[in-house]
Amino acid sequence: MSQYLTSVLTEGSIFAIMALGLNIIWGWSGDFDLAFYGYVALGAYMTLVLTIGRPIAPAEYILGLQLPYPIAVLAGVAASALMGLIVGLIALRHLRGIYFSIVTLGAVYVVYVMAGQYVPLFDGYNGLSGLFDPMASTFGINYNNYQYFLLGFCFAIFLIIFVLTERLSRSRFGLALRSLRDDERASAAFGRDIYRLKLRGYVLGAAIGGLGGGLFAAYLSAFNPSAWSPIETIVIYASILVGGKGNGKGVVLGVFLISVLLQESTRFLPQIPNQPELVLALREVIIGAVLVLFLRFRPQGILPERRRVDPDRGDDGGGRPGATNPRLVDDLASSGSEPIAG
Amino acid sequence: MISGSAVGPGPEPALVVDRLCKHFGGVIAVDNCSFEAPKGKVTGLIGPNGAGKSTAIDLISGFKVADSGSVTFAGRPLVGLPPHRVARLGLLRTFQSPREWPSLTVMENMLMARWEPGRESIWRGIVGSGVAGTESELSQARELLNEFGLLHLRNDPAGSLSGGQKRLLEFARIRIAEPQMVILDEPMGGVNPVLGERMAKAIESFIDAGTTVIVVEHNLPFIERVTHHVVVMAQGTVVAAGTFESMRKDEAVIDAYLGVLPTHDD
Repeated sequence: MSQYLTSVLTEGSIFAIMALGLNIIWGWSGDFDLAFYGYVALGAYMTLVLTIGRPIAPAEYILGLQLPYPIAVLAGVAASALMGLIVGLIALRHLRGIYFSIVTLGAVYVVYVMAGQYVPLFDGYNGLSGLFDPMASTFGINYNNYQYFLLGFCFAIFLIIFVLTERLSRSRFGLALRSLRDDERASAAFGRDIYRLKLRGYVLGAAIGGLGGGLFAAYLSAFNPSAWSPIETIVIYASILVGGKGNGKGVVLGVFLISVLLQESTRFLPQIPNQPELVLALREVIIGAVLVLFLRFRPQGILPERRRVDPDRGDDGGGRPGATNPRLVDDLASSGSEPIAG
Repeated sequence: MISGSAVGPGPEPALVVDRLCKHFGGVIAVDNCSFEAPKGKVTGLIGPNGAGKSTAIDLISGFKVADSGSVTFAGRPLVGLPPHRVARLGLLRTFQSPREWPSLTVMENMLMARWEPGRESIWRGIVGSGVAGTESELSQARELLNEFGLLHLRNDPAGSLSGGQKRLLEFARIRIAEPQMVILDEPMGGVNPVLGERMAKAIESFIDAGTTVIVVEHNLPFIERVTHHVVVMAQGTVVAAGTFESMRKDEAVIDAYLGVLPTHDD
């Protein structure tokens, strides 16, 4: 049981990192990005081809180096950031709302099909494997304790990403991205270069996605197109929506509820004889139902985006607490997701 | 009597618009439009619906690109610059409907009205102070919000304000941004006339702060109250420019408005 719990928490930390990255793109900048899976996958693939060494026939893949794991992950992050830059340069120039989503979906399927069909790249649908216990020998960790080490490592990275994104969220960068989400013409009229700002947020999100992918590769010790299909992005979206779009703590809570608690609890449902797929499918049905219920009744999520408070409370203005009217928050949450035509 | 193309009235112009043209397909929206806005004054830009006032503003502020002609602001050519570059040169504009950032608080709207190079970088966000504004910016914002009667709402999302309050917030944002010039597109649109005096005072405060103002407005008593100088547009071009008083007798203006220019008895 403790092994199981360790495994679940490691996975949760990795998903939380991914969700924090996607939250920058969707929560702050307001762009419903369907290419996000591609950044996770690229980070995982790059980490693998840079660590597992030369391919042994009949397997085929690029690079085939044996670099130290952390360097491989950083290279994976760089690759994801580069892909984010390319997709962002095309998709963020004029496209918003559903048009942006369609182009990013197209981009991720190009990557997905390439990874699956073009064998010399990442060995096609067989995918890559063989990343066993990275860093174990460096730190002298034995096989039995390795999974606790990996949990600690992933959780530490998660904490770093959480602290950094929380700082960014409060900074002028975070506010500037939200101003674009709210009304980008107004942002331009006050001196904001919409395209460059959005691009910076997008590349940052993609890089964090790649980092999540690099850790995911160590957790799974393998990666292939069936391990992580583009539709998995929706589970991350569901986590962000349920927890609270734009709110870092909410996103982490959402990942815990949707990607960890809900996903795992369905494992304990009794198997139905002759229908082994049914329980698995039920998981998706439940996530879909939760998504619909939240969209209908609490679109701002469990922890709505935090209203920063003017720190000086002792002046004559006597400010009242912000955003106490739940109806208002509803209105804002729904208006925030609407595309704003440039 | 001043009419036809622009005649620079009085002091040096902050903005010179010269033979600006823009057409959309076969529709000529702005046609050889020329005028000047004198520095430190309030220029009213008036004209009937469809005269091309809003298009002219979009061309000046970079939201639309002119087919031909030039715009010179503080000695720099503006045509071809994107909106954010125009804004960074110190020329801000408002829109016909108030465009606050609805999910940001009133205070955040104030702080984000200022733009300075490098302040919104990711690096500054991570290693910086962790707050969106300095203490002096916060106190300046509080002072301005107090002046505009919005201080008690400063921690509310700006989207929750009433239409009139949103206009006042827009004015407060212009004040904290301290631009050299601002173009106000129908500031009285959708605003309770009771707020008219407050708006007029706000425009005076822009001038006191050293900001040159252009006001586009259909409310002519308001234009008469706040402007030093009026430019009249009709069918995409400037038909007259001068004091509001002189416009009353101008044939071209009367033609353009079909004689609906108000008298003092209104």
